[in-house]
Amino acid sequence: MDPDTAMGGPHGHFPSTQLSLLEAAAAGLPNEALERVAALYWKPVYRFVRLKFRLSNEDAKDLTQSFFATALERDFFARFDPAKASFRGYVRMAVERFAANQYAAARRVKRGGDIEFEPVSEQAASTESPEQIFEREWQRQLFALALDDLRAHCAEAGKQLHFAIFDAYDLADGDRPSYADLAARHGIAETAITNHLAWARRMLRALVTERLRGVTAGERDLREEARRLWI
Amino acid sequence: MNKIFVGLGFGLLLGALDGATAAFYPETRNLLTGIMVGSSIKGMLVGLLSGWFAHKVQSTKWGIVVGASLGLLFAFLVAVMEASNGKQHYLEIMLPGFVVGAIIGFLTQRMGAPRLATRAAEPRA
Amino acid sequence: MDLSDSVLDHLRHVAALPDLSSTRYELESEIGRGGLGIVYAAHDRTLDRRVALKVMDAALAGEAQIIARLEHPAIVPIYETGTLPDGRAFYAMKLVSGARLDGYLAGSPSLAERLRVVRRIGEALAFAHTRGALHRDLKPQNVMVGEFGEVYVMDWGVEAVAGTPGFRAPDAPLDERSDIYALGALLDFVLPAAASPALRAIARKAMRADPGQRYPDAPALLADIERFQEGLAVEAWAEPLWHRLRRFVARNAVLLWLLAAYAGIRLLLFFLRGR
Repeated sequence: MDPDTAMGGPHGHFPSTQLSLLEAAAAGLPNEALERVAALYWKPVYRFVRLKFRLSNEDAKDLTQSFFATALERDFFARFDPAKASFRGYVRMAVERFAANQYAAARRVKRGGDIEFEPVSEQAASTESPEQIFEREWQRQLFALALDDLRAHCAEAGKQLHFAIFDAYDLADGDRPSYADLAARHGIAETAITNHLAWARRMLRALVTERLRGVTAGERDLREEARRLWI
Repeated sequence: MNKIFVGLGFGLLLGALDGATAAFYPETRNLLTGIMVGSSIKGMLVGLLSGWFAHKVQSTKWGIVVGASLGLLFAFLVAVMEASNGKQHYLEIMLPGFVVGAIIGFLTQRMGAPRLATRAAEPRA
Repeated sequence: MDLSDSVLDHLRHVAALPDLSSTRYELESEIGRGGLGIVYAAHDRTLDRRVALKVMDAALAGEAQIIARLEHPAIVPIYETGTLPDGRAFYAMKLVSGARLDGYLAGSPSLAERLRVVRRIGEALAFAHTRGALHRDLKPQNVMVGEFGEVYVMDWGVEAVAGTPGFRAPDAPLDERSDIYALGALLDFVLPAAASPALRAIARKAMRADPGQRYPDAPALLADIERFQEGLAVEAWAEPLWHRLRRFVARNAVLLWLLAAYAGIRLLLFFLRGR
């Protein structure tokens, strides 16, 4: 098996096999699990509460911070039942409950409400529900983290060229250069471009899958989320 | 039971029934037995030939045509015979004969063992 | 790194492409996607022909061995199965050109044609069952009708993953009779809105909640359909008397007409005579 595609590679900088959330929690590593959850879920939760409860930037940030600080206690993972929902859905519901409680408390304290209603600029344009935004942001963040992993891996494995080509082509927003352009730019054959891209994409897929494994609870959850993830 | 027997059987039955309708006509009532016998024989002849045809050719349409034609033919012969005795009953004899022939033709096509099976049932050439 | 929506979607698409470098296939294009996996058109370099490649999660790959050994005109032949470097499983199979069942029905085929399709599916099912293979996920999306009317049943032996509920039997361990249930549901699906109550009754019988009350096997269901097509009484339906009469008349129309002609002639002659 190609050592470069083996998880972690020869210079892997993260554990070769990610434990699923439940495994991590069961093994008594809840902090590690919490960190993983926070790393992935911070932005999605922020955008979700901002849209759903129509909060200002500041209020949304505060809410998100306090959610991760307080709501994610030890038994957050224990209470999760994989048969009922995906972990992602579970987190979203927890956020909704948390926010509802916060506002109930807030209204009791600050009569008249202190919450600023600032229309989120994207809100008018977006036709997506807050739930869809939540999933999308989650996907975005998942890929962003996997791309960081990829960049790091390429740097350590001496595959900077692979990443450069991948960056120029697959990460291009708008017009993509042609294979011929890329070949000329880097002084290699077009077939090499094809191969490098294929390698980078496979690597990305593997990295995304690993990240996904670390934030899902078990095989079934992983499979379901994977199914939704890939177009 | 092969098609020839089907033809003979139904020819006999339908011929007899057709002949029996003469009972409705007072002038022929006393000749009823004779008429029925004659009609049965006519029917059996039609049935025999229709059955033989059905044995060779599988086609409901042509079976009806052949049966009807045979029925008409034999009915014609009978009518000619009657005419020579001074009784002109062409219409009354030929028209029903035509339809009965058609029915016999139809039944021989639809019933009885078809060609392939009878071939298989005949071990001797 | 802030990914734009378009880049995100692009990545989701390209990272899903299978790595076929260790196989003898060359990826051509994506044909479609089901609940289980993605189907691609590919080129077999060794045999120089186009094939269909179905790529899915390894755990969902079904009884490939049994299915691959089934040779039947309505069962898509599987050429090869294997594992990709990323852990996914793939099947290489015959590339079928044609329409899926729902697309085929959009062309308003006649009732006879629809029943013919159901018969082909039933025959494939009967064949597979005698060889010990179940389908487990029979539904319109798994049936293809080719341009010359060939019928193919695909995706054998893979248990449904929260698929179309209407075609899945409520039985707990799936067995042959669950496939019968699905066949009944398919029959119901292809029937036009104004279908005969006899046909609906056949479909309903196959879809009884209690498996013991369904048809015992596919040939029994097909036999009932055949009885319907020949104008005979259908086992599944207790038909009202007037319908039974109508059927009798329809079946014996020619004979009844001939008898009516005879009666008519006799009456005519009688009245002409007895003036």
